Amino acid sequence: MERTEALNQVHPWAWWCWAIGIGIAVSGTTNPLLLALVATAMIAVVMLRRSAAPWARSVRAYLLLSLFVIGMRVFFQIVLGGGRGETVLFALPEIPLPAWAAGIQLGGTVTAEALTATLYDALRLAVMLLCIGAANALANPRQALRSVPAALYEASVAVVIALSVAPQLIESVQRVRRARRLRGASSTSLKALATVAMPVLADAIERSMSLAAGMEARGFARTRGLPTRGTLPLMLVSSMAATIGVFLLLSTSWWQPALGLLVAGVTVAGFGLRAAGRRLRVTTYRPQPWRGRDTLVAATGVLAAVLVLGLGWLDPTTLSPALAAILDPAALAPTTDPLAWPQLTLPMFVVIGLVLAPVPLTRARKVAQTASTRNDTRVRSLRPQVERPKVPAWR
Amino acid sequence: MDGRARVPVAVVAAALIGLVAFSWPLFLRPESGMSATQAPIMFALVLPTVLAVVLSEIAGGRMDARSLAMLGVLAAVGTILRPLSAGTAGFELVFFLMILAGRVFGAGFGFALGAITLFTSALITSGVGPWLPYQMLAAGMVGLFAGLLPRAGGRAEILLLAAYGMVSAFAYGWVMDFSFWPFGIGEDTQISFDPALGPLENLHRFVLYNIATSMGWNLGRALTNAVVIALLGVPLLRLLRRSARQARFAPASSAQPLAE
Repeated sequence: MERTEALNQVHPWAWWCWAIGIGIAVSGTTNPLLLALVATAMIAVVMLRRSAAPWARSVRAYLLLSLFVIGMRVFFQIVLGGGRGETVLFALPEIPLPAWAAGIQLGGTVTAEALTATLYDALRLAVMLLCIGAANALANPRQALRSVPAALYEASVAVVIALSVAPQLIESVQRVRRARRLRGASSTSLKALATVAMPVLADAIERSMSLAAGMEARGFARTRGLPTRGTLPLMLVSSMAATIGVFLLLSTSWWQPALGLLVAGVTVAGFGLRAAGRRLRVTTYRPQPWRGRDTLVAATGVLAAVLVLGLGWLDPTTLSPALAAILDPAALAPTTDPLAWPQLTLPMFVVIGLVLAPVPLTRARKVAQTASTRNDTRVRSLRPQVERPKVPAWR
Repeated sequence: MDGRARVPVAVVAAALIGLVAFSWPLFLRPESGMSATQAPIMFALVLPTVLAVVLSEIAGGRMDARSLAMLGVLAAVGTILRPLSAGTAGFELVFFLMILAGRVFGAGFGFALGAITLFTSALITSGVGPWLPYQMLAAGMVGLFAGLLPRAGGRAEILLLAAYGMVSAFAYGWVMDFSFWPFGIGEDTQISFDPALGPLENLHRFVLYNIATSMGWNLGRALTNAVVIALLGVPLLRLLRRSARQARFAPASSAQPLAE
């Protein structure tokens, strides 16, 4: 009996859809309690469901970036903030500025109201960054590149070449530097940059020539040629329409036609890309199937976004008092002037549940068992996994 | 549509859409109900579509295996250079290669190289985020305009490319800062974006913000570009031109590159 984890990988685009949905949901609230809970839930999902691959460690970089964003925001608020609110925490000396910077005042009083508003907003941005980080850690980028539309086939080939050649280039730099040192050259001057860079670049270009020869010898790019007239105008017009949709969304208050234009534009452009891909008769080697579970994972993200944004658009005065007390749309954006303790409401717990949903959705199928892995063709494609992660005692 | 006109048309459309996306602080109005942190994210959802259309048009069907391999390997070089250089006061080595390659292989290649370099280096350094489509578009434009520079030879060409390196470094820094202005600083300091103020007052605030935060970075990036192009320009152009002759990038039957 052998466990086959990789067979049950969630589709990378399902993870992206889930994370982006949560990110959109987060963008609709400044409630720090909800934001902190979403962040905790997000990190829990990453910790429980990430693989052993190198990209799975990227969430720490995003955490640091989030902390940096919060720090920078708070710094600028203290140094350059306007003095809103009454609760003065402390006062900095004011520094006069020249005439061309008129209207700007450095230093001054720092109030609790302004600082809290900044913290709430920075926290929202930090959690949005964390969502992107979670998608990075959970989704396999190589698998994601393999499931792009066929029209982007060449571009994704270039990306794959770049990703696989990059480590070889580092080795090439080391070789050139070793050769220089053997010849007794010191590597400190600016001139040394050129004497290292040029051989490495020449080596890289040489490599691309032999790679191209190898690709052509294996018949790369011999199967294309079906004409696709009409797809380019279609794709350009639809992406223009999507842009105009965003423009209207940002500059006017007609959000319904703007949103319609945006959705229609993106959808039609997607279909155009599909049609343009037909000129390439390429097949995917062992494509990753999109299963029902992937739809569920993606749907939880979309549902969270719809829930929070829909709640934000509700007008509490039109609801019955009992319903308004349960839903309480105002709790999504707690007031900071005057300061008030933020409240958690029932819909927020639903959002947390949706963030955590991939944990039960993926655990049931995580360990699949086959009678004989020797005969299972899909198992042969799996990487050998030397060390099994032990099931922690607290689970 | 004529096969020869397709790439320029796609690139011009991408430039127009990019112009709208980068200049959103000029037209965001308070009555729309969108906050300034949501605005760039809205465009971050549309720009990948535009980039996909343009990249599929440039790379798909127009590039043979040799130019594709060249694109991938040069993008790998940029991918290595970016984490080596980023973070030290604007000392950024990622742009000079796009400029030189765009000059040699044409504007379409320059655009694809800029966009793909930024994409792969974001994958490696975990820099994927709402800013990535903007970075890809802006870097693509750096490579694109390098391919559209006027003819020059010898020392004049190096001078031209170094000057372009400085100008493009500032332009890249400004458009990126402009579109992600509310991200870095928030919405209620005195040099923040405020939708109620109108375009001119916001531009004034942006200039102050830029001087306060990223002027040094842009200057460092511009100087790095100019110095590296002056140092490596001559041998690198020779190397790329030789391989371009070997690789025959534009066979007579298919589309010519945008420049030359």
